[in-house]
Amino acid sequence: MFFKSKSSALSAEAVLQKLKSVQDPDLNRDIVSLGFVKNLKIEGAKVCFQVELTTPACPVKDQLKQQCEEVVMSLEGVSKVEVEMTANVRGTAPQSNRIVLPTVKNVIAVASGKGGVGKSTVTINLSMALAAEGARVGLLDADIYGPSIPLMMGTTKEKPESREKRVIPIERDGVKMMSMGYLIPEGEPVVWRGPMVHGALTQFLSQVEWGELDYLLIDMPPGTGDAQLTISQSAPLAGAIIVTTPQEVSLIDARKGLKMFQNVKVPILGVVENMSGFVCGHCHEVTHVFRKGGGEKMAAEMGVAVLGSIPLDPQIAETSDLGTPIVVSHPNTQVAQSYRSIAREIAAKLSVLSLGGVSSFKPIEMEWQS
Amino acid sequence: MAVMSLSPLELKQLGPQHLGIIWNDGHNSLFNVRNLRLKCRCANCVDEWTREKLLDDNSVPLDVKPRKIESVGRYAIKVEWSDGHDAGIYTFEHLRAQCECPLCKSR
Repeated sequence: MFFKSKSSALSAEAVLQKLKSVQDPDLNRDIVSLGFVKNLKIEGAKVCFQVELTTPACPVKDQLKQQCEEVVMSLEGVSKVEVEMTANVRGTAPQSNRIVLPTVKNVIAVASGKGGVGKSTVTINLSMALAAEGARVGLLDADIYGPSIPLMMGTTKEKPESREKRVIPIERDGVKMMSMGYLIPEGEPVVWRGPMVHGALTQFLSQVEWGELDYLLIDMPPGTGDAQLTISQSAPLAGAIIVTTPQEVSLIDARKGLKMFQNVKVPILGVVENMSGFVCGHCHEVTHVFRKGGGEKMAAEMGVAVLGSIPLDPQIAETSDLGTPIVVSHPNTQVAQSYRSIAREIAAKLSVLSLGGVSSFKPIEMEWQS
Repeated sequence: MAVMSLSPLELKQLGPQHLGIIWNDGHNSLFNVRNLRLKCRCANCVDEWTREKLLDDNSVPLDVKPRKIESVGRYAIKVEWSDGHDAGIYTFEHLRAQCECPLCKSR
């Protein structure tokens, strides 16, 4: 058998037996029966193995590693344990024979209903946060009329190349990006009717050379119109994230955005409350500029999770305008840490969905035989 | 988040003009495909504002059948019909409501 080691008194079975006591808290099963333990090697008193998680952005990665080391160390005859944490992201929809985005494991829509709540800022920083965890990430700017990704990512001068009728995305800090902003001259308005928007988005979904991606985040435009319909009908969405600010006028539209995704059966991963409070730089008192607790209230009403909240911090606007997202440029700030934590939360939710089955979804394609 | 929503697990052609669907709640549906064609809710077949039916049933060939059936996102299917019509989107709920199995028909 693969795991057998003749020369040692320690058996692979004994190690695996011990590792069965380590549970993945999100998936509610032990890591052995989940098939996470790989390449177990026993060399004398040294035990090495890999733990392959379902996402590199696992919120409990360090905790699991420590538990693995502890339980194996507790075995008699073990003097050293080496655990390597790896990841293989699972997709929520089968990828084979998918025409749209066949190389993308999880497509996530980030929406708000209302404009001006910081959706693009949130989407950009979440994609940077996922990439920082080691995931392969793409970012699609679906706001055809008001693309903001190029500026906020500091890539306004970039022009995508095309190869064999496929467009090569712009890449920055490991995140692959596509936006209408890369295709039109800077400062020029896009004056289009709905069908043109549909056409452009369909091309973004089918003709961009994304390559292998674990997560593709789609920065949705505000509203519940053409763009939203095209994306939810054509993109194999694994889930949606709703961004809102805490005050009622933003929640009204956020609820509609959320409801729209529920109507088209896209799982809601949760709500991100943005601009949730201003922390004074001098006295650290929190001022709830846009009121308090709105995101939580909406999530509770609609039966969805709160993924986290991002404070109102002038540094966010500044880094966005400079094209240096805060997650990358100021990784040690509280804001950056909040983004990292929300990103891990999202990755964990998608892992649960991909293994859970309840929401797993099989696309239908059938030819009628005459 | 893990609310179980209605969706088909499998579609099966049953003879020349019948479609069977196995749903994720265990129900098995049966449809005469021409009846499904007549129930199309697209803007050409049903007035968008008044909901008045615009499609003349007699204009639909008796032997109409799908050419191709495919998913629309995660909530509906789209049918390309042998009479050339392909605008209709059947949400899973609408589809289920048209079920012609003896159990659903007797309700």
